[in-house]
Amino acid sequence: MFKHLRKYWFFAILAPLFMIGEVSMDLFQPAIMRTIVDEGVLGVSSGGVGNLSLIISEGLKMLGLVALGGASGVLSGVFANMCGQRFGNDLRKDCFRGIMSFSFEQTDKFSTGSLVTRVTNDITQLQNLVTQCIRGFVRTGTFLFGGFFCMMSLHVSFGVVTACTIPLVVIMIAFFLRKASPIFSVLQKKLDRVNSVMQENVAGARVVKAYVKEEREKERFGTANRELIDTQMRVLTIFAYMMPLMNIVMNCAVVAVIYVGSIEVKAGAVTPGTIMAAITYLSLILHGIMMLAMIFQTISRGSASARRINEVLRCEPAIASGSFSGDTSVHGQVEFRDVSFSYPGSGGEAVLSGINLTVNPGETLGILGSTGCGKSTLVSLIPRFYDVTGGAVLLDGVDVREYDLKVLRDKVAIALQTSELFSTTIRENIKWGDPNATDEEVARAAEVAQAAEFINSKEEGYDTMIAEKGMSLSGGQKQRVSISRAILKNAEILIFDDSTSALDIKTEARLYDALRREYAGVTKIIIAQRIASVKGADRIAVLDNGGISACGTHSELMETSEIYRDIYNSQLKGVDIDG
Amino acid sequence: MADKSKGIPNNFKMPMRRGGGAAMRAMMTVEKPHNMLSTLSRLMKYFKNQRLMLIMLLAAVIFVVICNVVMPAIQSEAIDLIAERQFGKIPAILMIMLATALLLSLGTLFQQLLSRTLSQRIVGLMREDLFDRIVNLPIRYIDNHPHGDIMSRMTNDVENISNTVSQSFSSLVSGVFTIIGTVGIMFWYCPRLALLSCITVILTVLVTKFMSKHMRRFFTKRQELLGELNSAVEENVVGYKTVAAYNKQEAVIEDFNSTSDELTRVGIVAEILGGSMGPIMNVINNLGFIIIAAFGGYFALHGIISIGVISAFIVYAKQFGRPINEIANLYGQIQTALAGAERVFAVMDVESEDKSGSREMDGEGVVTFKDVNFSYYEGKQVLYDFNLEVRSGHKVALVGATGSGKTTVVNLLMRFYDVDSGEIMVDGVNIKDIKCDDLRRGTAIVLQDTVLFSDTVRNNLKYANPDATDEEMERAAEMSNCRRMISRLPNGYDTELTESGCNLSQGQRQLLSIGRAFLANPKILILDEATSSVDTRTEKRIQDAMTNLMKDRTSIIIAHRLSTIRDADLIVVMDKGRIVETGNHDELIAKKGRYFELYMTQFEGNAI
Repeated sequence: MFKHLRKYWFFAILAPLFMIGEVSMDLFQPAIMRTIVDEGVLGVSSGGVGNLSLIISEGLKMLGLVALGGASGVLSGVFANMCGQRFGNDLRKDCFRGIMSFSFEQTDKFSTGSLVTRVTNDITQLQNLVTQCIRGFVRTGTFLFGGFFCMMSLHVSFGVVTACTIPLVVIMIAFFLRKASPIFSVLQKKLDRVNSVMQENVAGARVVKAYVKEEREKERFGTANRELIDTQMRVLTIFAYMMPLMNIVMNCAVVAVIYVGSIEVKAGAVTPGTIMAAITYLSLILHGIMMLAMIFQTISRGSASARRINEVLRCEPAIASGSFSGDTSVHGQVEFRDVSFSYPGSGGEAVLSGINLTVNPGETLGILGSTGCGKSTLVSLIPRFYDVTGGAVLLDGVDVREYDLKVLRDKVAIALQTSELFSTTIRENIKWGDPNATDEEVARAAEVAQAAEFINSKEEGYDTMIAEKGMSLSGGQKQRVSISRAILKNAEILIFDDSTSALDIKTEARLYDALRREYAGVTKIIIAQRIASVKGADRIAVLDNGGISACGTHSELMETSEIYRDIYNSQLKGVDIDG
Repeated sequence: MADKSKGIPNNFKMPMRRGGGAAMRAMMTVEKPHNMLSTLSRLMKYFKNQRLMLIMLLAAVIFVVICNVVMPAIQSEAIDLIAERQFGKIPAILMIMLATALLLSLGTLFQQLLSRTLSQRIVGLMREDLFDRIVNLPIRYIDNHPHGDIMSRMTNDVENISNTVSQSFSSLVSGVFTIIGTVGIMFWYCPRLALLSCITVILTVLVTKFMSKHMRRFFTKRQELLGELNSAVEENVVGYKTVAAYNKQEAVIEDFNSTSDELTRVGIVAEILGGSMGPIMNVINNLGFIIIAAFGGYFALHGIISIGVISAFIVYAKQFGRPINEIANLYGQIQTALAGAERVFAVMDVESEDKSGSREMDGEGVVTFKDVNFSYYEGKQVLYDFNLEVRSGHKVALVGATGSGKTTVVNLLMRFYDVDSGEIMVDGVNIKDIKCDDLRRGTAIVLQDTVLFSDTVRNNLKYANPDATDEEMERAAEMSNCRRMISRLPNGYDTELTESGCNLSQGQRQLLSIGRAFLANPKILILDEATSSVDTRTEKRIQDAMTNLMKDRTSIIIAHRLSTIRDADLIVVMDKGRIVETGNHDELIAKKGRYFELYMTQFEGNAI
């Protein structure tokens, strides 16, 4: 993380330098003020006769200094922001790049929600931390020490008063921060809870209503809400006590300064203007201390964020790209060689084991099997969404782990079970398959995927915007757009992971028909629930309990596989097969 | 933090301009409410029951303001005494000062505790009110509004109101009183000097106005870019599998980087502009100081005012510069909050769903549709003269292409939507006359898009029927074929379900929601594509179990897979909102009509 910061060392040095400039102007100011009051207004040295021209000239001098200080402060802000925000920008980009090279195992581990907060919220926290610290520490330090020094130079006794006050205030701030900071994280959790109850109720409104659970949900929300409020109350209570207490201490210091000042004036050691200057310095010191409190608050929040970001940055991609360029003599062959797989963190329970299967170029393989038997897992091993835990997957005769990841994934097009669309136009979504595709090619892919009709019926056709998470489309429409996208990719291997489940049978039949006509040479792997979806395949693999229980054509399986017959009967029983 | 410092007297009021830019930022992204007064008066209703607290708070604020105004006066008195070398009176006046400081602190504490309680009470109430409305929103509203938008009323808008109420209320009141008090005293001391000090006020207002106009542009732009960036991250992380499958990482990263760069560019400008407010105000304040010193000195020379008055004026001028600054900031913040309140009230104003009806649902669950017509949007009719009777103990299946109106039938029966014309009856009673809760309690539905709650498996299964025993629950799990799957979860029935976690496949989630419906023990059971991701053998086992459960009850099943519905007593084939065929499987096959055609496609399979 610090290597990101090092890049901007130049700004990181300039910002505090200019900050010192600003602060020292602030420190000069009370001294001039004293001259104005003592000499100009009171006329201390000229026997009680004020001096208007002195007021004006000193006043202009002061104004000039203030303006100079202000300019210096602005410049310091410029550099601090250049440093902080660019640092944040780099970090953000690196994080995102890191996430985009994660394996799915890693994204599963982090959970998407937390990754999103890390890239957005946490980075902003950290960016603020840097911007604030660069200037804040210098500013605070200068205020504290400079203020103290000035007090000393005004008179030793003022310095003593300050020296007594500062530690007291610092201890108080430390005490309150210590009490408050653990509550902050609780607060965040309670807020998340309120939001998630809310989210579930909006998204799941039909279920809540169908089971008449409005009252229960209100109660659930009420509890979350109360907990949030209680926590918020605790935070606010702490701060409610903090400020009045600091007030007392500081006012005592003022009283002490005036009292000490009066004694010194009596002794002729200082002037009334000095007392006023001392009070001003005291306020600067307080300002410094309060800034310090804020900085520590930012640091305590920022360090949590830094930890979370580091977790992302330090995460080496578990799936490393190979170097093989994909120059093979065969095209479109997949071989599973003694493959076994178990999900990380599942305690080693194998999802797949002992899988041996070869899909030949141009062949169509259907995969059937019961819910949760590992069908999707099997195909996700081909584009290396996950790596096998035993055995190997070979593409065109080469282990997928040897491929350059980009080459590998270019060879494979996959339409997923949950069709993820992006919030842009339908055309752009389909063009993900091939960014250089012409409009005709896009239309042709949609035609094959049976999506053309519904797209054309939309007012804006292919330029229709897809709303967040594709909410404006029905399940079947989403699936067809995502199939169009996969088709357009024109890959060697086309995988449908139960991606036609929301289509009615006739539409599905037309889709497969068109696919056969237009893309005969492409190897196809089709996962499905309906026998009809896979019946025409060259071979059908039946998965059961993480292994291949049978593999063959429809008629072979009807004879040899009891499970297949069972599935078939569960779907087609009752009709004369030959009819 | 800037607001928290409101109780600090005299010179110690230091708005943290450079540090905490929150208020500043709020000012910049101001949204204007459409009808400020009516929204404000509605918001005020929440304060109505807190009258006592409000009065106490007001009293505390005024008390604090008085102390704040008095403090510099005492201080200047003390300095005058020193200047006049009347040292004997000093201890007494310092004691008064200390006492005032103590009172001030006590008052501040009291004020902060009160405003804390008040704001949290009100926000709590508001959240509950809003949630109350949201669970009672008609499905039509929820279907037609982006969920993110409804959500943000709770998360952003109420939060905004909360912050504004808790932070601004006191500062606004104290700000106004401080200004009045300070200006009053200044005029009382010396009207001429007071008028001169007002020059800085005018300057402050003008500069704030000018600066904020320019800053607003950048802060708004920044806010937009931030939103863009957030949704880009969300979309790409959620859809990461697709991104990876299409090798789109580089393109996506490039997009992200350009947004991120733009954000940084705008952010730097915005922050610099925002940061320059502080120094500029500083210059103006000092200008004020010089004016006071110069003219004050001049007046003092002519014996119009005393030295102490000058010192008091210096403090006062600072004292009222701050609240003006703050109120300028608050104005923007309050406007944003009011705009938020308006959005919150907009949701609250949506009419709750019509749940009228008083009759019990005590029959056997005979469902009749009589001449039902329905359209979601005017002019786009979805159901035409729909007539159907489902007898108790029967299993009716609806089949047809996507968009033929099958799910609409369910929406109408559950009263998620009401018919345009015609009627739907259960046991001969129009469902509009039946208690809506009764109707829904008696009817269990399972939808294609499974909704599970972030709770344990047990509580999810028992959702409809929290009083069910564990045995009953396990039986339901057995029937829906999810018992084995649950036993493989890390903590069995006590496993917490999370949004993404647990490696539950879509099919497994469907099994869980079927189990939930079984445990509800309904009179009418509706499965809307409830097993689309479940394999057919598992589905068969579920159906066998269902036959027993639904022996004397009504079930309605919607499916694309004809195997799912083959055993139905009545199959209704729908096309474009009309019924085209009815009958049982054998009859329809014999008829060689639309159903036969559908069935044959399935039977023939696809020659891939």
